[in-house]
Amino acid sequence: MRNALEYAGFAAVPCIATIGALSSSKIAPMIPLITIPGIVLALDLSGRHDEDLIRRLQRRDPDAMTELYDRYGRIVYSIILGVVRDAATAEDLVQETFLRVWNRVHAFEAGKGALGPWLLAIARNRAIDHIRSRGARMDRNAFELDVSDHPSLFVDMERDVLNTDHARIIRSALAKLSINQQKVIELAYFEGLSQTEMADRMGEPLGTVKTWVRAALKHLREELGQAVTA
Amino acid sequence: MTCEDLRQDYTAYALGIADEPERIEIEKHLARECPNCVPGVKSALATVTAMSGAVKVVDPPKNLRKRVMASVAREPKRSNMSIYLPWAITAALSLALLLIGLNGRREFGETARLQQALSILNDPSAQVVSFGETQKPSKGRVFVSPGKGVVFIGASLPRIGSGKTFELWVIPAKGNPVAAGLFQGQADDTAVYVHPGPVDNAAAIAVTVEPAGGSPQPTTTPFIVAKL
Repeated sequence: MRNALEYAGFAAVPCIATIGALSSSKIAPMIPLITIPGIVLALDLSGRHDEDLIRRLQRRDPDAMTELYDRYGRIVYSIILGVVRDAATAEDLVQETFLRVWNRVHAFEAGKGALGPWLLAIARNRAIDHIRSRGARMDRNAFELDVSDHPSLFVDMERDVLNTDHARIIRSALAKLSINQQKVIELAYFEGLSQTEMADRMGEPLGTVKTWVRAALKHLREELGQAVTA
Repeated sequence: MTCEDLRQDYTAYALGIADEPERIEIEKHLARECPNCVPGVKSALATVTAMSGAVKVVDPPKNLRKRVMASVAREPKRSNMSIYLPWAITAALSLALLLIGLNGRREFGETARLQQALSILNDPSAQVVSFGETQKPSKGRVFVSPGKGVVFIGASLPRIGSGKTFELWVIPAKGNPVAAGLFQGQADDTAVYVHPGPVDNAAAIAVTVEPAGGSPQPTTTPFIVAKL
């Protein structure tokens, strides 16, 4: 079981230079979420070229896969690493993620669809699946469907949902959440804990946890504003 | 459960943490393209997606790129018709599902059925077709070996009453559908069914809901059609 207190309260910790190569040894406890506004990621993951990429992937163009990796490989690795917290495992799961996209991209209708968001959902799903099976959380069925199994849910997603402006907005929005709201978001996003499991972990009633989760997402959505509503 | 009951759980669903029965209920609403739940889930999903913008970015090792490309290059070419299941797609896992379908019952003849299924799955000339697009609920695979028979593996099958059964049909290029056996869904709406025996001239495999005991010809519109 992870100790949730390993993560320092992220509102208060200065986060310096998060982009840089790390060795493949175990990574020291890190704060997976950046909440200091003003640090601009160099990545622009807006999906302007997604449609073309989808078509090329559907036509089995290996260069399309190279492009997909070059564009999203780093964020996929980062998300997975934030969940599994072990570099070797993260590498395996990155491979599995891209392979899944390769094998399932036909499920996108005729080149439509926000490829990046779907890819990131698969990445997070693989990582959380891994830690669930590792922790033998028997309440979860191995064949359970997840949002990443429904490419149609991504079809008309705002293609700029992953751009740098939204990244900045999200980070500052997270910093404004209450400590408990931040905590539940972290437990949900990086550990895939159900609300029941969170309630257990935090020693709080289930109803309270549910309220925090809903309020947190609501605040984030409001900060993002119209830009990300479907 | 109604959309109103589920509205509070779109967020949890989008995060992949919804509990039962809400999770499976939302799945059902999504499968039937519910005009409330689909936009609700999509909206929550967009926010969850945007959250990746706050993840601490770490560079992957340089060799990971080559490794990913190499694993993609190793994948066999697939036919354009294939639409993939949420499960893994290898014959090995199909076999595992077959074993689940057999339910661990130790009945006489089970070994023979398993061997028949294996020989169909392993036949290099067997055709494999997936059915079930993202919008339709039922999905699965059909393996057809002309010399040996048909293996049907499906999920999200409709719930039918005790007075009804699923019936498999071999649809030839010309002529009437040929009855190919009856089967039931499991409690989790999956089914694995083996129909051994030569299969002539099949253009498609279809499944209908029939009264218990089956029908000589389909009496309802097939809810699954897998074109070979």
